[in-house]
Amino acid sequence: MFSKSKKGKQKFIACTDKNKKYEFANPKELYIKQGKENIPIEIVSDKKGFVYIIWKKKKYQVEIIEKNQNQYEVLVNGVSYPITVESPFSYKRRKFLAKSKEQSKVERIQAPMPGKIVEFLVEEDQEVKEGEPLLILEAMKMQNEIVSNIQGKINKINFNLEDNVMKDDVLIEVEK
Amino acid sequence: MKKINSILIANRGEIAIRISETARKMGIKTFGIKTSKEPGAYYLQFMDEIIDFTEQISEIPEFLDIDRIIYAVKEHNIDSVHPGYGYLAENPYFAQKCKDEKIIFIGPSPDSIYKLGNKTIAKQLASSHKVPLLEGSNGNIRNPKHAKQLANKIGYPVILKAASGGGGRGMRIVEKEEDIEKMFRMAQNEAEKAFADPSVFMEKYVRNPRHIEFQILADHHGNIIHLGERECSIQRKHQKLIEESPSIALSAELRQKMGESAINIAKASNYRNAGTVEFLLDETGNYYFMEMNTRIQVEHPVTEMVTGFDLVEWQIKIAQDEKLDIKQKDVKLKGWAIECRINAEDVQSGFTPNLGTIEKLSYSKGKNCRFDTGITEGSNVTPNFDSMLAKLICYGENREKAIASTLSALNKLQIQGIKTTIPFCKAVLNHPKFKSGDISTSFIAKDMDQLYHQEKDEEMIAAFWAALNYNVELETEDKTYVDYEKGKSMTPWLMNKRLKSL
Repeated sequence: MFSKSKKGKQKFIACTDKNKKYEFANPKELYIKQGKENIPIEIVSDKKGFVYIIWKKKKYQVEIIEKNQNQYEVLVNGVSYPITVESPFSYKRRKFLAKSKEQSKVERIQAPMPGKIVEFLVEEDQEVKEGEPLLILEAMKMQNEIVSNIQGKINKINFNLEDNVMKDDVLIEVEK
Repeated sequence: MKKINSILIANRGEIAIRISETARKMGIKTFGIKTSKEPGAYYLQFMDEIIDFTEQISEIPEFLDIDRIIYAVKEHNIDSVHPGYGYLAENPYFAQKCKDEKIIFIGPSPDSIYKLGNKTIAKQLASSHKVPLLEGSNGNIRNPKHAKQLANKIGYPVILKAASGGGGRGMRIVEKEEDIEKMFRMAQNEAEKAFADPSVFMEKYVRNPRHIEFQILADHHGNIIHLGERECSIQRKHQKLIEESPSIALSAELRQKMGESAINIAKASNYRNAGTVEFLLDETGNYYFMEMNTRIQVEHPVTEMVTGFDLVEWQIKIAQDEKLDIKQKDVKLKGWAIECRINAEDVQSGFTPNLGTIEKLSYSKGKNCRFDTGITEGSNVTPNFDSMLAKLICYGENREKAIASTLSALNKLQIQGIKTTIPFCKAVLNHPKFKSGDISTSFIAKDMDQLYHQEKDEEMIAAFWAALNYNVELETEDKTYVDYEKGKSMTPWLMNKRLKSL
């Protein structure tokens, strides 16, 4: 079903968020190498339009739910995998940059879900411990405690009481 | 009382559809409420008539607007109201209003709802009828200092609960003295917000208990039976996620004893209609009365599957004064049933609500498998409503077979467009401790290392799919290809087309 590329082998490195890497030489040839063996992959779709990969007689439902340049969020059987795809060159560059990059001093506390801020438990310039609750976010009728994941000082509070926030909005910045 | 010819279903989602199905079977006309928050909702397709509440006339949410609902019932000359669960299901004032207006409320009397809904009164009822109880505050806590005194007397850990609460909201476990004052204030705050009643009481907290509840049916002629138990120990933050019937923890003897206690509670409160008595069961077989829910429960289908009774049908029959012609000895629990709640939640980010549109939905349905859904393709999941989208209920001759049939149905259940609790349910059902029946309400927190199920090579498949998509995309860019299909989701045909155009 797939025509083969006329170009030469192109290697891709797909990294997970835990920095585990998978290498694929020319993925369009539709196989995954295991040991010395190339095991073929089949891509199928059912009448509803769900897409599946069949590999080693097992069927996996796949779906890309978010994409930003070379960063993908892939759902396989409903489980989410954040994957960054690099060429061997860009992979080396990324590793190099990561090493030389200075550790960020400011921790941005993001909203884990959309909701309304119903209570602030801290003020700006206040010292907080790791795990200390910062504010209460109400979503789907539940009150959720948002805690600091580092020890530090409250640098900035970006919202007001009763504000509605979106998922991933930076609520509070804590300085190490 | 006269025969019911029409019902206003004062609810939405899967339960509105569930009620309409029984009503249709009984030849009863159904009325549904259309709201501005989801005017194209799936449940509306199941109603004989739709009452339009889309015009915003007050700040009160549509399904909580007692005056508007009563007015609609009168205006359309409807015989009865079924409240479903949540919303006005356990609001004694609403039940009283219906009574005053000569509308049949499909549920217990306002007095029973009031007494059992107030946990403090409910506990007094239980203790005066020799039903075992946990040590607690015996009433509401006055202030943080009072909370501290009581907790020191009862001994940590303790649990704080909203007196008018339910469904896990307004509950907090306190492990140590430093936290008690803060937690008390938070529980009070949450109770005030959720139930417009800040009253909070305290109990001793039992570690590793099982949540066992008994289904009750009582008519207006003095007949009262129980339909066995449901085990709802798989909970996260007091929200039930997987339920089953019967429970592996109950011997016939213990079932009889707990069933009798459940019936005693119902008798003590003059209970009529369907209800559920909740108990905590400890590791040595001691049980404690928790509360009685005066409504149809989310998890009622597991009882229906093992007893063969239609609980909504009995709710309606009892409401129209029919006699309960089933005797306790006729109630037999046959086989095993498991229910999985399919919620719009991202399990991998701490069960946070996941909003969006249901793009595709596919599931299998059959004699041993029921899918009670409130959504269909094209449904929107918004923050206005609860995150529960649907329930998958599967049956087997025994527990082992029920687990196998549930897993097989979960594998066939696919939802695109939103993250759901399906990978979580698979993880529970595959867990060796769940399989052996060794569960408690702290199962999720204590026994699960990973909250979602992963097949061995899934991560590599994900990596491959991303690499393939990136590869195709890069090469189309190389050829300064105008991407007319940009933003479309990838399908094999689209992929094939792109590959060919290289």
